[in-house]
Amino acid sequence: MKRHNVEKLHTTSDNARRFGLRMISPTMLVLLVLTAYPLLFTLFYSFTDYNLLRNLRTPASFIALQNYTDLLEDPYFRQAVLNTVKFTILAVVFEMLIGFFMALVVNSLTRGQKTMRTLLLLPYLLPTVTVALSWRMMLSPNYGIVNQVLEALNLPVYNWFSDIHTAFGMLLLIDIWQSAPFVFLLLYAALQSVPQSQYEAARIDGANAVKTLFYVTIPNIKGSLALCALLRTIDSFRLFDKVNLLTGGGPANSTATITQYLYNYGISSLDFGFGSAGAIVMTLLVLILSSFYIKRAMG
Amino acid sequence: MKKLLALILALVMVLSLAACGGDKKPAEDPKPSEGTEAPAAPTKMTLILRAGTYADVIKKCLPDFEKEHNVTCEVQELSEGDLYSGIALDAINAKGTYDLCMVDGSWMAEFTENGVLANLTELGYALDDDVIPATTSICYVGDDLYLAPYYGNVTVLMYNKANVEAAGYEADGIKSLDDLLTICKKAQADGKKGFIYRGDNQNNLVVDFLPILLSFGGWVIDENNKPTVNTDEFKAAMNYYLELIATGEAQVKDDLIASVDTGAGTMGIGWPGWYTPTADSTADYIALSGAATAGAEAYNSNVYGIWTIGVPANSQNKELGAELLAYLMDADVQKATVPDGGVPCRYSSLQDPEVLATYPQYEVVCKALESGMYRPVIAEWTQFYTTLGTEMDNIVNGVKTVDQGLADAQTQLEKLMG
Repeated sequence: MKRHNVEKLHTTSDNARRFGLRMISPTMLVLLVLTAYPLLFTLFYSFTDYNLLRNLRTPASFIALQNYTDLLEDPYFRQAVLNTVKFTILAVVFEMLIGFFMALVVNSLTRGQKTMRTLLLLPYLLPTVTVALSWRMMLSPNYGIVNQVLEALNLPVYNWFSDIHTAFGMLLLIDIWQSAPFVFLLLYAALQSVPQSQYEAARIDGANAVKTLFYVTIPNIKGSLALCALLRTIDSFRLFDKVNLLTGGGPANSTATITQYLYNYGISSLDFGFGSAGAIVMTLLVLILSSFYIKRAMG
Repeated sequence: MKKLLALILALVMVLSLAACGGDKKPAEDPKPSEGTEAPAAPTKMTLILRAGTYADVIKKCLPDFEKEHNVTCEVQELSEGDLYSGIALDAINAKGTYDLCMVDGSWMAEFTENGVLANLTELGYALDDDVIPATTSICYVGDDLYLAPYYGNVTVLMYNKANVEAAGYEADGIKSLDDLLTICKKAQADGKKGFIYRGDNQNNLVVDFLPILLSFGGWVIDENNKPTVNTDEFKAAMNYYLELIATGEAQVKDDLIASVDTGAGTMGIGWPGWYTPTADSTADYIALSGAATAGAEAYNSNVYGIWTIGVPANSQNKELGAELLAYLMDADVQKATVPDGGVPCRYSSLQDPEVLATYPQYEVVCKALESGMYRPVIAEWTQFYTTLGTEMDNIVNGVKTVDQGLADAQTQLEKLMG
C-alpha cells in the first residue's frame, strides 16, 4: 500500500514536471530561435572572412582568430573601446545622480507630483532620432538657439559637434538629458515603497536628512539602484544612434564608440565576419562590466 | 462598477474581433460581360532609389509608364548608406524584391564583380549619343552595359555672391584655388566664415577634398589601383586644404547650404541637387577651374556623384525593369524633369535654349559633366574612403601631422588593396 502511494506520488511529480516543461517550451523555443541561434551564428561568422556581397562569388572561408587579432591590433578599435568605457562610466554616474535627485525631489512634493512626473519623463518618451535632430538644430552653428543666446551674452560660441573639445561632452549631455528620467522613474517607484514608519522612527531618533538618506532611503532601494545602474550600463555601452546621427564618430575619432566602429568598419562595408568578431568582443565587455551589478542584484 | 466596465470592454473586444473576421468566402469576381475580357491585374514593380530630388523626379515620371504598361510602382526612398545595404542585402536572395535600383558610381565595381546587376545589353538596352560620353565611362564592363547615368550630380563650388563681391571678385574671375583662398581670407577678416566643409563622416570629408586634390594633379590610386595618398601632390593639396578650411569650419550639409545662402559662410563644395540658384538668389555655383594657382595647369577637377540606374540581376520583372529604365532615360522624359530639379546627363536637356533661358546654371553643370572624374571604381571603395577619411579627420583636427597621417593612411590602404 505504502509502495503504491510512493509510486503514485512519483507519477504525479513526473506529470507535474512534464507539464511544466510543456508550458515553458514555447518560451524556450522563442529564446532559442531569437537569442541562441543568432548568437551562435555570430560566433561562427566571427571565425570567417564572410562578406555579404563577396560571398555571392566565393564562399566565406575559415580564418580562425584573424578577425580578433585584426580587431585588437587596430588602434581605432582600442580608442573606440576607451571612448565607450569613458562614456559609459560618466553617463551612468551622472544619470544615476541626477535621476536619484529628481526622484527624491518629486517624492517629497506634497502637491503636483503627477504633473512633475509627466513633465520629467518627456525626454525619455521621445524617439532618439527626434532627440538627436532637435539637439542638432539647437546647437547648429548657423541658426541654433544655443549659439544665439551665447552670442547675445557676449560669450564664446562653438561648433559643438565638429569641435574635438566639445563633441564628446555634447553627446554625453544629450544622453544624460534623455536617460536620467528613466532612472528617475524606476527610483521614484522604489521610493514609494519605502515604509513611512522607518522615516518616522528616524525622525524620532533625531536623524537629520543626510542620515535618513543614507540609513533609511538608500538601504531600502539598493536593489532598484543596482538594477538601474545595470540597465543604464548595458544601454550606454551600446550607444550608437546618437553618435551615428550627430558626429559619425568624429571629430578625429573622439566620439567613436564600439558600435560606431563596427558600423564603419564592418557593417557599412558588409564585412560581417569582422563585424561579428567585434560584436562578440563587445558582448564579452558588457558582460564583464555588468557582472558586478548582476552579482549585487542577485544578492 | 469595475466589473461592469470590464464586461463592456470584453464585449466590445469580442464584437470587434467578430467584425474583423468577416465572411471567409472570397468575394466573387464580377463576371465579364460577353465579348469583353477582364483587364489583367497590374504587375507590381518595386524601385529602390536615393531619397531627395533624385527620387522625386523619377516618381513624377511614373504615372505615364504605369498607365502604358499596366503596372503599379512602389518606390522605396533611402539614404545613401541604406540604399547601398538595401540593394546588397536583397542581392543574396534568389528572387529579388527590386526591379529598378539607383546606384552610386563608386559601387559599380563591387556590384558587377559580384553579379548584383543585370546586363542591360543582353536586355536590349543601349545608350544613345545624346548622353554625355564622360558620364558613361563606368557604366560598361567590356562592351556590356550595366548602368545608365540618370542624375548628373557633379561637384561644384557653391558661393555667396555678396561675399565674393566684397572680396573684389566676380564669379568669372575665380580662376584658381589661390583665388578661393584670397576670397575666404577676406571674408574671415570681415567677420564671416570663409570655406565651409562637411566633416561629419569619412565619405563627405574625402569627397569634399577630391576636387582640391585633382587641382593639384593628385589622385587616390594609380592606374594599377595602388594607393597614392602619400605623394607630394597629395601633401601639397592637404596643406592647401588646411589653410582653406581654417577660414571657416566643418558643418553638416543643411548647415553648409544655409551658411552660404545667408552669407554667414562664403563658399563650399556642393552638388547641383542641393540648391537651385535663380537670378535673385543670394548664392550661386560655378565649376572649379582645376588650376591650383594662376597660370598653373588646369586639371579635370569636378568629381562625379552621378546617380545611375540599373536593373538587379535577381529582379522578377527584368524585362519590365529594362523597359522602365529605357523610359526614364528617354530624352523627352528626362527634359521634362528639369523644372522639378532633374539634372539629366544629356546634351539635349542641358544645352536646350529654353532650358538655359530659365536655368542658366545648367551650362556650368554641362561643362562640369563633360570633364568630370568618377571616384575610383574599385570593389574596396567603402573601406578605402573610411580609412582615408579617418586619417584626414586626424590631420584636420591636429591629432596627426600631414606627413604622419598620410603615411599611416598609405600603409593601411596598401594592406587593404593587397
